[in-house]
Amino acid sequence: MVKNRKIVCRCEDITEEEIIHAIDEGYDDIENLKRYTGVTTGFCQGKGCLMHVIRILSQKTGKPPEEIGVTTQRPPVNPVPVYVLMEGEYK
Amino acid sequence: MKVAVIGSGITGLSTAHNLAKQGVEVVIFEKKTYLYGASGRNSGGITTMMDRKELIELAKRSIKIYDDIQGEFSFNFLFRKDGYLKVADGFDMGRLEKECRLQRSMGVKVREIDPFEIREIVPGFNPESVDGGFIGEGGVIFPWPVIWGYVEGCRKLGVEIMRNSEVKGFEVENGELKGVKVKDETIKVDFVINASGAWSVLISKLAGVELRNRIIKEEICVIESLKPFIDPYILNISTGVYISQSARGEVVGGVVGREATEPDTSSTLDFLIGYAKGAAEMIPLLKGLSVLRQWAGVYDASPDGLPVVGETELKGFVQANGLGRRGMSLAPAIGEIVAKIVLKGKEYDEFSPSRFQFPERTTEN
Repeated sequence: MVKNRKIVCRCEDITEEEIIHAIDEGYDDIENLKRYTGVTTGFCQGKGCLMHVIRILSQKTGKPPEEIGVTTQRPPVNPVPVYVLMEGEYK
Repeated sequence: MKVAVIGSGITGLSTAHNLAKQGVEVVIFEKKTYLYGASGRNSGGITTMMDRKELIELAKRSIKIYDDIQGEFSFNFLFRKDGYLKVADGFDMGRLEKECRLQRSMGVKVREIDPFEIREIVPGFNPESVDGGFIGEGGVIFPWPVIWGYVEGCRKLGVEIMRNSEVKGFEVENGELKGVKVKDETIKVDFVINASGAWSVLISKLAGVELRNRIIKEEICVIESLKPFIDPYILNISTGVYISQSARGEVVGGVVGREATEPDTSSTLDFLIGYAKGAAEMIPLLKGLSVLRQWAGVYDASPDGLPVVGETELKGFVQANGLGRRGMSLAPAIGEIVAKIVLKGKEYDEFSPSRFQFPERTTEN
């Protein structure tokens, strides 16, 4: 194993180094960083990684976490199987 | 010459890029941020399978631009050309047959495909779900790197891109546009390009120009990643349901949009239910997978469904909007046309805004 590879986003397999690289490339706000790297867009939808991403962004840019904010939270809260949705009534 | 472009979507960026290449000073005003309206929220379906000669030409040219420009921008658009598949119920097959004849006459590679052959291309496809289809040139592009690439390309040419900068009004003198009002200041410009998509009517109103585009809201969702098995982009023209698979395996799909009263990007459960039924009918194995995330995008469509491109009765105010849901397929080429209109005063008759000032000349769509 490579010592310095810290996995931040487990769903999408993204390391802290990759996130830092993206910030260095100029994707230094939370929404653009999310889209550029794919963090917070996997199965957990950010529940496992968003706080770490905010921490890294705060350390790199010097901005406090409150200023960085969080990504737009999109429904559903938890993954919902298609067969469950199919039972709904379509208007 | 100085040009202000309103909107940093694909249309605004490609227009800015083409103007800047000719040495024009360009500033882009973006009310929100990149990827906000439609260019960052669409499913990346690209095709030349259009129903109008002019659109086919623009779509062909746009694919060529995508091919060439990735190297120039040092950005990989992840453009996967595994085909574009339109499927339909019997009632709508005639429409596809008609457009296929036009497409073929213009050299587009497209052919009819029966539901059982579709199943050979897309494993798990339910042949009972449609009566037939046509498969042709196209595929899936990843919209985000397209926008990032154009942003980088524009910046390298000195284009100033101002985010969070809402246009509040215009300065007009004797029927000529003289400036743009943004954040308490008025910036002198020679031309304004209205490439604001779903906001195009609002921007036109600020300039006192009539534009009859409608706002369309379209919802999309992502189903968890699977090993790639859906090669072509699939659009069911009868139900409006479309499905494709991204380079990282996520199944991305939605339902063709509906008219909205304002640019609204809220998500609805109703959409998820409709999509789940439509998608699972075509590809039943999706039933056991979960929806991870849903969102909505907004775009605009003109009264006849064709783009609105050209200078208006207000001298210096140029429309570049109304691309509908075909923006990603058409905008790179439309940017070239808008640049020609600005630089050479060339009129692009087919899509001129003046066509709506004369008695009905509406077409299909």
